[in-house]
Amino acid sequence: MKMISNNKQIARSYRERIRTKKKLSLKIGLLCLATLSVSSLFSVSAGPREQAKRIHDRLAGVPPSETVLNSMEASIIANDANAAAYTAMEHSDFYRTTLKNMATPWTNEAQTVFAPLNDYSATFIGIVRDDTDIREMLTGNIIYTGNESGLPSYSNTNNNHYQSMDDNFSDLKVVLQEGTQTSVTGLEAEATAGVLTTRAAAKAFLIDGTNRAQFRFTLINHLCGDLEPLKDISRAADRIRQDVSRSPGGDSRIFNNSCYGCHAGMDPMIQSFAYYNYEYDVATDPDAENGQLVYNSQGATDATTGTRVQAKYHINGANFPYGYITENDNWNNYWRQGQNANIGWDDSLPGSGNGAKSMGRELAYSAKFSQCQVEKVFENVCLRKPGNDADRTQVSTMIDSLMTNSFQLKRTFAESAVYCMGE
Amino acid sequence: MTNSTVNSMIKQTTKFAATLCFSRLASLSLLASLSLVFLSACSKGGAEIEDNPSQETTPTSGYAGPAASTDDVQSFKISVWDNLSPSNRCGQCHGIGQLPDFVNLEDINDAYGEANKIIDLSSPKDSLMVTKVAAGHNCWLSSDSACGDTITSYITAWAGDAAESSATIVLEEPPIKDPGDSKTFPSDSDLFAQTIHPILTARCVNCHIESSPSSVSPFFAATDPDAAYEAAKAKIDLDTPANSRFVIRLLEEQHNCWGDCPANAAEMQTAIENFAEDIALTEVDPNLLKSKALLLTDGIVASGGGRYEPNAIAVWNFKTGSGNVAFDTSGVEPAINLTLSGSYNWVGGWGVQIVDGKAQGSTGSSKKIHDQITSTGEYSIEAWVVPSNVTQEGPAGIVSYSAGTLDRNFTLGQTLYNYNFSNRSSETDQNGGPFISTPDADEVLQTSLQHVVATFSPTDGKKVFVNGILVASEDVETGGTLIDWNDTYAFVLGNEADGSRLFAGTFRMVVIHNRALTQEQIVQNFDVGVGEKFFLLFSISHLVNDADSFVMYEVSQFDSYGYLFSEPTYVNLNSATIPDNLDIEKIRIAINGKEAITGQAFKNLISTVGSSTYSSDTGQLLSRLGTVINLEKGPSSDEFFLTFEKINGQENIFVEPPPPPPAIPVDLDERPEIGLRNFAEINATMSKITGIPMNNVDVQTTYNTVKQQMPTLTDIDIFVSSQQMGITQLSIEYCSALVEDSSAKASYFSGFDFTSGANVAFDSTAKRDQILDPLLLNAMGSNLSSQPTDVDVKTELNSLIDKLTTCGASCDAEKTNTVVKAVCAATIANATMLVQ
Repeated sequence: MKMISNNKQIARSYRERIRTKKKLSLKIGLLCLATLSVSSLFSVSAGPREQAKRIHDRLAGVPPSETVLNSMEASIIANDANAAAYTAMEHSDFYRTTLKNMATPWTNEAQTVFAPLNDYSATFIGIVRDDTDIREMLTGNIIYTGNESGLPSYSNTNNNHYQSMDDNFSDLKVVLQEGTQTSVTGLEAEATAGVLTTRAAAKAFLIDGTNRAQFRFTLINHLCGDLEPLKDISRAADRIRQDVSRSPGGDSRIFNNSCYGCHAGMDPMIQSFAYYNYEYDVATDPDAENGQLVYNSQGATDATTGTRVQAKYHINGANFPYGYITENDNWNNYWRQGQNANIGWDDSLPGSGNGAKSMGRELAYSAKFSQCQVEKVFENVCLRKPGNDADRTQVSTMIDSLMTNSFQLKRTFAESAVYCMGE
Repeated sequence: MTNSTVNSMIKQTTKFAATLCFSRLASLSLLASLSLVFLSACSKGGAEIEDNPSQETTPTSGYAGPAASTDDVQSFKISVWDNLSPSNRCGQCHGIGQLPDFVNLEDINDAYGEANKIIDLSSPKDSLMVTKVAAGHNCWLSSDSACGDTITSYITAWAGDAAESSATIVLEEPPIKDPGDSKTFPSDSDLFAQTIHPILTARCVNCHIESSPSSVSPFFAATDPDAAYEAAKAKIDLDTPANSRFVIRLLEEQHNCWGDCPANAAEMQTAIENFAEDIALTEVDPNLLKSKALLLTDGIVASGGGRYEPNAIAVWNFKTGSGNVAFDTSGVEPAINLTLSGSYNWVGGWGVQIVDGKAQGSTGSSKKIHDQITSTGEYSIEAWVVPSNVTQEGPAGIVSYSAGTLDRNFTLGQTLYNYNFSNRSSETDQNGGPFISTPDADEVLQTSLQHVVATFSPTDGKKVFVNGILVASEDVETGGTLIDWNDTYAFVLGNEADGSRLFAGTFRMVVIHNRALTQEQIVQNFDVGVGEKFFLLFSISHLVNDADSFVMYEVSQFDSYGYLFSEPTYVNLNSATIPDNLDIEKIRIAINGKEAITGQAFKNLISTVGSSTYSSDTGQLLSRLGTVINLEKGPSSDEFFLTFEKINGQENIFVEPPPPPPAIPVDLDERPEIGLRNFAEINATMSKITGIPMNNVDVQTTYNTVKQQMPTLTDIDIFVSSQQMGITQLSIEYCSALVEDSSAKASYFSGFDFTSGANVAFDSTAKRDQILDPLLLNAMGSNLSSQPTDVDVKTELNSLIDKLTTCGASCDAEKTNTVVKAVCAATIANATMLVQ
């Protein structure tokens, strides 16, 4: 038996097997509609026209028109593949299809892509479209709504506005309109934190529970990692709330070796959301479709806590009475030290503050956030994760480019598409 | 002054003292120059009406001597003398002349006088009568501590209110010693397996292994060295092997020696020495600003009582820590001593964990519950429990007095996140149904230590309180009577009597009261907590130049694996010399020579002690927080001290080690350069190819039906046939919409005659190209080497047209439209569209 000695040989063998399968599929006939020959996609090197086609396919999700293809081909021939990519991104489906599908799983706990457009995903799309600093996604007083006749108005208590755009397949490139959350939702400016304070984020991550889901899913979606690899049991225990059992099932080893590693860092961070909740009528609206984000402004007093802190921050206080009692929305980033210093926190920021806005900035201004945005785009465009030294070098280059170009993510899309356009 | 007068004065004094209550540490007052008094766990306004203690009224031995001279003597007789005078307890010696004859069988008044010499009414547990027996003096049970607790209960019942003064705690200077270099158990069991484990598996295997028919916990003779190692750690003293419990048990207590006990003990000690000598010392960092060191046993017992339990008829504290019996130490006879069976573990800090078994009393002793409760018609089940999970149901039997799943007097159970409580009464069936339950939405039951009290009374029916809060009740006109209770049932913890409804969890305390506790009384017991607690006074005198300065923690063994350190407080045993502006910052708890890695809750603490903030009653609380520090060698061996980053102007700043270098990325398997369009891209692409908008009603309906059937991911190697079927359905819908729209199809397929029959409409290459050319251009683009050639594709499509137009007599115009739809669908649903 001939041994395949390395990854490249394995991959070559893999491609050959696929090619054989595709040729076989031709013989099955068109009525089966399975495939037409794609063998040429492997066997023929890509010229400027093929590269243009792939760039368009990957960015817009649809094939280009002849006119656009010609234009993009010309750009590539003129050694300006980047321009070709920007041309592809002029297509409406870059926004309506590619970006929407990319963002939708971020906006719900099940991480399903089969969810409607909402203010979270629309705001991401708008930020990319307008070349706004992508870091505003986690900290800005920003929201995008639809400016299209016939749409229901934006509502704090339902998603009809965006659902209607979704049903209409509205051209998001055209209809999305930037606004401030303060003007659209009424949330005071200092309480806004980009998509984190949208209604959709609240419905997904501030509903019930303890608000910790907001932090965890922000890590997953925008720092490209769950809590597990961030566990650090050497951080201080002083901010772990009372609701966390220190001896789950009677075994404190579970807490000290597992739960502790996340809560020690997470709890002092998500204290930033202590004044937020997603309220709904569980009796009449069990799916919470008509709930809304609430925020305890200055002067508001929660009946349970006696402060601006939401009652959910004090639930199950008897689980460990000596645990931390949240009294305000002061947050601290204990992960600036220890193993998670590798996240690359911004030294110009203090690492602590009050409220969601500054905590969102803490995350968004980290090196890991930029890296994550680039890697997400890379995977979306190249249809694979960065997997070798060349890919990693490209990612590093794109991170630098993102940082030196005002954090405009559209540029990252273009650079990824060019990198993966074929040779 | 007579003894009864003294007792009366004590009762008066302690009633006064009990009014000086503070939230947790309670009142602190100066008694002497080097001592402070803490009142802990005071009664928070307990019942104003004093109930008679619950006792068996029938004396346990005959008495024919002179009558009791006072009420207090009579109370002594009922509470203490009747219980201890039988010959199988104390009567055989101390009843017939051996001094002190506190159970004098001939004269109760003489017995009373002698008893007063060896009891402490203000702190019954500290009575000589208790401590002597608890230390092993002729205990009539297999557990010395159970005897001690039982006698404590007798004395407490006699003392009545006076026992509340047991909350008075004197703080005294602890032993002053420097933190020592220490040995710590290695993380793996290899060394243990080579040294100690062979002896255990050879000599202790008849009992201390779970699979033994007569298994006795802890299971340090387990075949698996890892499991045995965990169980054995608490019995090994690494620093002084001769003090190991394994050695003492053989040498001093002659516990199941396998030959000559001293020789066996020496063999065991040698094995432990061999184990210990290969473990390196952990040296204390000389640069640390550190307090003096303490063992847990150097602490002052902080749990001084304060529970409301005058009507307790059965009490299990689970202090024994070994064996298979959980003793009822209520002092109310007969004791319902529970036999542990199945899989269970004793829990450090008092408790027993039911893994897959139960703790059951005999039906004879369980009858006490029937008799005591039916006499009052009301009762309370009080339990400190830690449910192991939130998935068990049945209800899983936490506390049950039943015959099985169909017949019961009462059951406190668990169903997922809920506690359930059923009681058999004249208003229910024989199974006590329907039970009440805590609300689903509230998820009251958690896998943490919880105080659960279920009460029943004829007037209020059933109620359930968790952590002092009423969480379930019933709205009934009457709860009924208990006249139908059956006195042949068995009392059981962790299951039903028939073993069919396991409750996996830990019991830290269970008490049955024959009165329905009020919420106030329940809160009082909740506030007292459970388990043995100590005040550990860490001396900082050498750091602050004050002889009487301490940082005090309340410390307890939290479970088998950790210690709870809470509420650090600066105390000064001489209130006259409180330092001013004493900075105490960033405290870390150290164990066995090193700072604990996990659980440092005070390392961000910033505090300043001063006379203006110091209270002579309560000291100065530095933090209300608590934390759990991992247990290492066991409560009798682990040595603790504190370190400070800053104290009294001295600094030793903790230097955070640099983060480890990021992991070196690993290359991934090479992936294909191409992939699939996902469902949304397919939809958009088909729309673009055909020109039919995505919001076309028919298209959209089909799309919504099949979108989850089409590819969600773009990986080409996970494409399956069902996805192709979804793509096909959508393509047919798009093509149908195109062909059914006269204007659209005329524009798209310019020149093609849709009114001709199929046999005519496709009868030339030119006519066919009117269909094929626009489809191919839109679907594949032009001049792309990455796509199949038009010739190849047309060959296939023409073959399809040939087949479809072989239609004989049915070649009408409708057939023509159908053929176009089919050709269209075949063109836009294949790989030229799908692959990107």
